[in-house]
Amino acid sequence: MEPDMSMETGSMIRIAVLPIGGPIPHQRVREYVSMLSRHTRIDLSSISSFYSEHQKSPFTHQPWESGSLRFKYMVGGAPPSPWEDFQAHRKILAVIGLCHCPASPNLDLVIDQFASVSRGYGSAVAKRLFAFSPSDEQLEEGREKENSIILFPPSDQQAQELHMLTMIQDLAATLLMEFEKWVLRAESTGTILKTPLDSQSNLSSEEVIKAKKRRLARAQKTIGDYCLLAGSPVDANAHFVTAIDLARLTGDVFWHAGALEGSVCALLVDRMDERDSLLEEEVKYRYYTVIQLYKRSYLQDNAQRRFVVKEVVELLMNASDGAKSLIDANDCLILYVEIARLFGALGYQRKAAFFSRQVAQLYLKQDNTSAAISAMQVLSLTSKAYHVQSRGTNRKQHGSLHEPGSNNAESGKIHPQSIISLFESQWSTLQMVVLREILMSSVRAGDPLAAWSAAARLLRSFYPLITPAGQSGLASSLANSADRLPSGTRCADPVLPFIRLHSFRIHPSQMEIIKRDPAKKDWWTDSAPSGPFIYTPFSKGGTTDSNKQELTWIVGEPVQVLVELANPCAFELMVESIYLCIHSGNFDAFPVSVNLPPNTAKVILLSGIPTKIGPVTIPGCIVHCFGVITEHLFRDVDNLLLGAAQGLVLSDPFRCCGSVKLKNVTVPTISVVPPLPLLVSYVVGGDGTTILYEGEIRDIRIRLTNAGTVPIEQAHISLSGKNQNSVMSIAHETLNSALPLKPGAEVILTVIIKAWKLSLADPDHDPSKSTSGIMRGVSKEGSNPFLVIHYAGPMSNTDDLNSSEASVSPGRRLVVPLHICVVQGLRFVKARLLSMEIPARIGETPPQPVSLNDNSSEEITVFSRIDSLVKIDPYRGSWELRLLELELSNPTDVVFDVNVSIQLDISMNDNNLAAVDHDTAEFGCPKTRIDHDCSARVLIPLEHFKLPILDNSLFAKNLNLLANDALISKSPSSTERNSKAELAASISNLVSKIKVRWQSGRNSSGELNIKDAVQAALQMSVMDILLPDPLTFVFRLMNRRSRTDNIDDASKVNGDAIKVMYRSSISAHEMIDLEVLIRNNTRELIRMSLSLTCRDVAGDNCIDGNNATVLWAGILTEISLEIPPLEELAHPFSLYFLVPGEYTLLAAAVIDDPNDVLRARARTDSADDPIFCRGSPFRISVTGTA
Amino acid sequence: MASTACFIIVSRNDIPIYEAELGPAVKKEEAAHQHQFILHSALDIVQDLAWTTSAMFLKAMDRFNELVVSVYILLNPLYLPGSRITSSHFDTKVRALARKYL
Repeated sequence: MEPDMSMETGSMIRIAVLPIGGPIPHQRVREYVSMLSRHTRIDLSSISSFYSEHQKSPFTHQPWESGSLRFKYMVGGAPPSPWEDFQAHRKILAVIGLCHCPASPNLDLVIDQFASVSRGYGSAVAKRLFAFSPSDEQLEEGREKENSIILFPPSDQQAQELHMLTMIQDLAATLLMEFEKWVLRAESTGTILKTPLDSQSNLSSEEVIKAKKRRLARAQKTIGDYCLLAGSPVDANAHFVTAIDLARLTGDVFWHAGALEGSVCALLVDRMDERDSLLEEEVKYRYYTVIQLYKRSYLQDNAQRRFVVKEVVELLMNASDGAKSLIDANDCLILYVEIARLFGALGYQRKAAFFSRQVAQLYLKQDNTSAAISAMQVLSLTSKAYHVQSRGTNRKQHGSLHEPGSNNAESGKIHPQSIISLFESQWSTLQMVVLREILMSSVRAGDPLAAWSAAARLLRSFYPLITPAGQSGLASSLANSADRLPSGTRCADPVLPFIRLHSFRIHPSQMEIIKRDPAKKDWWTDSAPSGPFIYTPFSKGGTTDSNKQELTWIVGEPVQVLVELANPCAFELMVESIYLCIHSGNFDAFPVSVNLPPNTAKVILLSGIPTKIGPVTIPGCIVHCFGVITEHLFRDVDNLLLGAAQGLVLSDPFRCCGSVKLKNVTVPTISVVPPLPLLVSYVVGGDGTTILYEGEIRDIRIRLTNAGTVPIEQAHISLSGKNQNSVMSIAHETLNSALPLKPGAEVILTVIIKAWKLSLADPDHDPSKSTSGIMRGVSKEGSNPFLVIHYAGPMSNTDDLNSSEASVSPGRRLVVPLHICVVQGLRFVKARLLSMEIPARIGETPPQPVSLNDNSSEEITVFSRIDSLVKIDPYRGSWELRLLELELSNPTDVVFDVNVSIQLDISMNDNNLAAVDHDTAEFGCPKTRIDHDCSARVLIPLEHFKLPILDNSLFAKNLNLLANDALISKSPSSTERNSKAELAASISNLVSKIKVRWQSGRNSSGELNIKDAVQAALQMSVMDILLPDPLTFVFRLMNRRSRTDNIDDASKVNGDAIKVMYRSSISAHEMIDLEVLIRNNTRELIRMSLSLTCRDVAGDNCIDGNNATVLWAGILTEISLEIPPLEELAHPFSLYFLVPGEYTLLAAAVIDDPNDVLRARARTDSADDPIFCRGSPFRISVTGTA
Repeated sequence: MASTACFIIVSRNDIPIYEAELGPAVKKEEAAHQHQFILHSALDIVQDLAWTTSAMFLKAMDRFNELVVSVYILLNPLYLPGSRITSSHFDTKVRALARKYL
């Protein structure tokens, strides 16, 4: 091998450049050489004027237009190479002498000197002597010796250079012509070419024909070489191809390789200007073959030598036998040194090690320091054979393996072994003996570092085989050695503790990093938090974490790595400091000190801060222990543990310390990214759990602070976890309006929570709680909702040098748990629907038709105001008053105030009949107080929900349904289902209007969730609640004075006003004018036959029959009436009571030709059934004497 | 010295999988080490010799001073490379044979 070799070296003509004559000043030499060396490529086109074709040129494909000759100047000349036959470019083909005329006045002398010097270059075919700065006399003289010396007359630089160019072109032409001559001669007469390899092999044994062919191949190869030098790669290639074929035939491997190498050069020169990947591949492939061939030729050579090895071994064995007879130990030592050396030369490393150790033992017998040093050095030479070498030397050897020329197959075999060789149990006895001897000799030699290293290797690798006393002894020799070392000394061999990677502290949920997809607006959507396990602080081989192959660290934010240390020895280990070893230089590691008692393992937290963007690899830890700094690689311990698992290694240090087996921790690829915003949450009023009663509504204020150094530009809040619907509202806009949130800025977010209902399974039967016996509070967290806040800084970081996708800085996720502990509050026991009947009254005082007077409308409004929910009109009566009864109990130890309220639609009835509220949207019952351990019932009248009109449209929807409910379902269809849904909607609408709010103490208030129960209670009779009767009947006393008043006007009278007017009682023996008002609540005209009756307290009819106690005027039975839709009709009549007492007036009607709506309301299907309507009873109290 | 012997079984990659110091003579620890060192160094020669002969028994193929090394080259297809021979029964058998013949 030569320096500055390249693949094109084969086309370069070597020219020796020699200084001739007197000493030339350095400056001048440099000047002349630089003038020369400008001309390394001489175009063929430029030399044609100097070239003359004497014979037919053998370079038939010479590219005169584009080709060139290439010169390589060997300044100072070069010794002849023994390989110059093999590769023509190794020959010195021309010699140039440089003469500085002022230093050499005598030109003849110079010429002679040049002639004698250049004679040494036998292969040189052209010789030139250049003389610079000649004097005038010399110029004169030189003209006569033009053939032997070329004078460069003093002139300006340009002229000199032109002169030089001409001379070089002339030289090039000469060389080209010489090459032609050489090739022509070689082709005709042949030539004998040899390499140093040939001299060793036995030529005589070769067959003659084979030798001849070989000679031919070699000649062809050499001609190819000359073609290359002559700048004709095509010709060269042709010759090389011939040479390759012949060499392959004759098995001339070395020359085969040479020809192939030449062909690569030819290929390259030929295609100089058009390099592409295809060419590269071709060159690579050919060179691979070339290397293989060179290797094979070497092996071939080796095989021949193997034969003698056996004999050498025999001789060496005999020689070692002779050692016995040597009396002088020094003679024996020398003999063993020689034997070891020879065995080493044979490649018998173990034999060499054996005899080296014999030498070391002989040295150790001499009691002096220099002998001990020798012993130590010899022993350290053996350490490789015994696999106990120091890691420092090991590394060097590993480096050498990659040098060219080393055997690949060999290195492949050694490599996997050497990794765990120190831990392998192979020949442990020998290994320990050797290490102990190295330790001993180092101590004696006074080399504390070597002693420390040997003791470290011994202790780390063989602690299971060393007694506790021996371990302590080694520990003290480590300490003793360290005492002699300067502080801060590093050693390549680690000792204790054993360190393995335990886990990476995954970002706590507070600062999780989420990849941001710039294309997606909701960049966080693919990364939902993984449920209740979000709190797992670090991975314990969890499924989610072990898969995590990538880790992102952030500049300036501390990170933590857990490592496990083991001290399997019997002494207490003091680790002065340990920290993460990171070579990438973008990490500040914080050292910690640890104390490891005998036979213990410990998991410790190592932390640090990433300082710069880029990848981070953590190969291991730096440990300062026993006074020396060492590097502990995780990989080594992993290999050791792997070996232990396979039974190859003595012991697993972690297992013998009682540590559990870890899953193989895969080191993720860690990258450090630019700073990100960091949101920190704090619940105002403390992060403790908020205790809420079921249904309690409470505002929770969360303070969010940007603790990072980058503003937050995007933020999005979502909910996760259980009981999400308990979060009633989140002040999204508060956060959004605070954006961008600058570093250090904070925003307070209000979340309104309504405590969820405890289910029976909740407190004790939660499986997630029972498995882990942690605190109670934690188990509660399982049912908490979480606020998940995804946030991110600016889209791209300006500091980031990488463009493309890497520039999108990731976002983050903050999970804020809403720590809520729900306790049992007010209990809802049951809901019931009650029906009751309250008869109406007719007063004595005749009704005042106030409504006739328009001016009094205001007054009416006053009367009509409803202040109470329980609004029963005693003058109207209520036949089927429905009440919802809620039973509530209070199992807690506080008092609850319950407030039931109902929301009503405004203007439910524009055309008033019933006394229904107009203008209040919501009103409530008086508060009900429930003491602890008490129950209470709250009544809610449902009268107000009645619709004003029995509408066909509403009814038609429910028609089928009602039929189904009442009768047998005939054909369930989609419309039915539809109507069912609508019914359910109307029920839930109704239910949602009823709110049961409670208050306890000053702070707690909430709402009872009774929807389901109320719904269940109302389900069956909802139609009765919602729908009015088709006809309503009202009795009233006529004003005696205005008996003839327009009845139509009466329809306008407000019901509420009327009842006030009827105050006084009715006397017996007096004609009482009454009228019955019949209202049609439907949108159809109703024809009917009305009947009126009056009953006494016993319930007997007191109008008909023999014992009638009431006389009457007007028509009371079978009154045919027609009432237009939504209108009212009055039917006057008079009664005369004979006996005072309580009477009841009843109105009833049979509807003629009822339509479907009416039939449906009456829940009958048959068209023949009469539809019978009955009004509420009215009570009349008659006073007077009988 | 013929009464003392060291018997080692070496597996692939030169890992010793069974070691036994045999013979009635009481051995010093130093001597026991020496036996192993000699056997270890003999592996170099075994490795070369094994490929030149078809014989499975290489008698006295190496020696150091009075200690002679003989080697059987065997192959157990059922052997799991790297595992050690730990059978006490085997150990007893080996020692019994040593008592009988040494």
